[in-house]
Amino acid sequence: MKKKLGLVSAIVLMLSLLLSACGFSNSKTDEKEAPEGVEKTESQETKKEKVVNLSLANDIPDLNQVLTTDGISFTVLNNVMEGLYRLDENNEPQPAMAESVDISEDKLTYTFHLRDGIKWSNGDPVTAEDFKYSWLRAMHADTSGAYADILYNYIAGGEEFFEGEADASAVAIDAKDEKTLEVKIKSPSPFFLGLTAFATYFPLNEKFITEIGDDKFALKADAILYNGPYVMTEYNQAQGVSLEKNPEYWDKENVDVDKVSLKVIKEQSTALNLYEAGELDRVYLASSDVDSYRDSAEFGTETEFISWFLQFNHNTAPFDNLNIRKAFQLAFDPQILTKTILNNGSEPAYGLVAAGVHGDDGKTFREVNGDLIQPDYDKAKEFLAKGIAEIGKLPSIEILTADDTIAKDTATFLQSEFKKNIGVDVQISTKPYSGRLDAMRASEFQMGISKWGADYNDAMDILSLWIGDPPKGLRGNYSSEEYKQYINDAGDEKDVAKRLQMLMDAEKLMIQEDGALGPLYFEGKAFLQKSNLKNFVTHPYGASIDLKFLTLE
Amino acid sequence: MKKFVVVRLINIVITLFIIATATFFLMKMLPGSPFDEEKLSSLSDEARLEFLAKYGLDQPVGVQYVKYMGNLAKGDLGISYYFKGQEVTTLITDRIGPSALIGTQAVVLGLSIGLLLGIVAAFRHNSGWDYATMIIAVLGVSIPNFVLAALLQYYVGLKWGLLPVAFWDSYSSSIMPTLALSLTVVAMVARFMRNEMLEVLQQDYIITARSKGLGQLTVIIKHAIRNALIPVVTILGPIAVSLLTGSLVIENIFGVPGIGSLFVDSIKVSDYTIIMGLTLFYSAFFILTMLVVDLLYGIMDPRIRINGVKE
Repeated sequence: MKKKLGLVSAIVLMLSLLLSACGFSNSKTDEKEAPEGVEKTESQETKKEKVVNLSLANDIPDLNQVLTTDGISFTVLNNVMEGLYRLDENNEPQPAMAESVDISEDKLTYTFHLRDGIKWSNGDPVTAEDFKYSWLRAMHADTSGAYADILYNYIAGGEEFFEGEADASAVAIDAKDEKTLEVKIKSPSPFFLGLTAFATYFPLNEKFITEIGDDKFALKADAILYNGPYVMTEYNQAQGVSLEKNPEYWDKENVDVDKVSLKVIKEQSTALNLYEAGELDRVYLASSDVDSYRDSAEFGTETEFISWFLQFNHNTAPFDNLNIRKAFQLAFDPQILTKTILNNGSEPAYGLVAAGVHGDDGKTFREVNGDLIQPDYDKAKEFLAKGIAEIGKLPSIEILTADDTIAKDTATFLQSEFKKNIGVDVQISTKPYSGRLDAMRASEFQMGISKWGADYNDAMDILSLWIGDPPKGLRGNYSSEEYKQYINDAGDEKDVAKRLQMLMDAEKLMIQEDGALGPLYFEGKAFLQKSNLKNFVTHPYGASIDLKFLTLE
Repeated sequence: MKKFVVVRLINIVITLFIIATATFFLMKMLPGSPFDEEKLSSLSDEARLEFLAKYGLDQPVGVQYVKYMGNLAKGDLGISYYFKGQEVTTLITDRIGPSALIGTQAVVLGLSIGLLLGIVAAFRHNSGWDYATMIIAVLGVSIPNFVLAALLQYYVGLKWGLLPVAFWDSYSSSIMPTLALSLTVVAMVARFMRNEMLEVLQQDYIITARSKGLGQLTVIIKHAIRNALIPVVTILGPIAVSLLTGSLVIENIFGVPGIGSLFVDSIKVSDYTIIMGLTLFYSAFFILTMLVVDLLYGIMDPRIRINGVKE
């Protein structure tokens, strides 16, 4: 009997130890109690605390702004920090830490004037030096991450600094005084102001990092300084973050929400249940749930700057033949793909640059450059016949795809379209995510389902991928001197209209004349959002959610 | 006994070394790197290699292996690539708590209910109790736990509002994951216990005990259960290990920040140090549990002599 008592008490002890070690986050009970508590005293108090609950689709890998490459991390950072500019609801950069900017005649020198009264969450002022420190850190080989190129591709002297050929003094970032930051860029880039809103361009406080220690920085909520609309009060990579309105933020009058929780929920059906239970205010829907909610007033869709396309390998038969490429380009209907298979708000693609990417003032690139390609099965058969006459016999053909559901469904769709519309049998070769990339990098494919998500709001972002020298397997070994000329000229062009024309011509050349790839669709997401949430701003690239403008009714 | 334990412990170290070596080379055969490949793909091939070189990932696998094992010998599991800057040890200790809590609860709950059902079923052989237990056992083994989890979440959480739908906020968050996990344990234990009890009750010594005039209850508790427990202990080892080390599906459904999802995610993103750390941790835990099970045999049935192995 004694033994049994011992066993029982051991189990009890173990359980209680476990309980203390398992780290329940209590933030939710706080939030639940808070509004009740406030309601009771509402007669005395004037304002009710405004709380918004959202979810994140995965763990938060890291919040070190110069290292991170992850969309979820960008989203969190964008709400607790701020760059010189911030993107508004139309993805246009608006002055944020900077009050104004002077751009020189040659479009190469940017002089930013910082706003008065901008502070870090510890009360220290945000200075031009903080930007210089952070940008150099993001470009130095020892401290930088995979996004170093989003700075050194533009900032003069940056690339030499990154390669270790020049020291920091050679980089054209000059903190003239506390409030003035002068930056010289390599070539006229109309999207540069938008770049300063990107996480890698956020400022950092040197004193704080030295105090905390390089290896401890950004690992905990109190190991980061904030200068954005919110501060982070809790940070758990597996559970999510809690945000609170930042009392030191320069524009705090325009921040309506007091508390935001962003919790990690990986299962979409769970997120939906939580939304139904009123514990989440906004969720993204799985394709299978879209039809049951399509008519709801809370339903909506958004598209991202993610282009999916069928990349042909120009070095391998049969796609080294132009007519064969053109035949396959015309032989499927992206509309069927987005409507019946993806069913998630994705838009069919008739060009490469994603819908919504900036073009001319007020118009998107897609609007000005139009539909470059339309499915046409008769033409496709003609091209195919011509192509076969040229190469003799069609070899066996494979589509390479990653093994996630969406990519696989797309491959199956293409397989049936090719069979149905031009009578060609193709096989599907499925590889894991990075296996697909490896195979394409090694040019071991005929055609592959690829995607590209933009890092900045300009057609240059995606179009400049195909100018690699030597040509890259990942880009289908497409190589055209004319195309390179267009892109390089556009990079040097000061005149915005001429530049745009070059980019438009480049896209036309690549798709219509060279048949380099077949556009598939622009990725979209379907969501449900409670009707009391207003001005919920989402961005199609970089940080996907901006909570600064959010208001609660 | 002492000698047995020492020999086993030495064997454990050798086994772990073999596991570490095999895992390391298998893992390195996975395509890709722990970094955002989509982003790296926009860099030139040299820039990409330079980036990997910063983390020593450009070196031959053999060199990387020797380095890793050297650090491992010093007890250093390294730093995660994906969760940049986080130590693997911290990540494991942070995540093991929730998984171990629901796992332990599921084992304790499953074991208690399973044993009870099994004993009652055997005792009331071919009665309503018996059939009910067998139905539960068949359902428990054939219904995947995520189906039960989804049903619990929808009805208990959403429709009736009795327990939190998901999240990891308070103790009540752990109840539904525990129930979902324990179903399989209940079923397995009940079935094993019932069969074993039926067999034991036929044994001569039970008849002897009864003929001594002992009451039913005393016979069952003192003589039958103890001998019927041995096979249950055998299956309990693996069950306990698999539950305590987390279940990916249950954790994802209920938003539990546990270790099961960490393991699967780390393989998806090729986070080498975490894959290694968790594999070693799981293996060590499993082998130690086996050792405990072996020792338990000796306590339950003195006829099983563990040091007899040597002779």
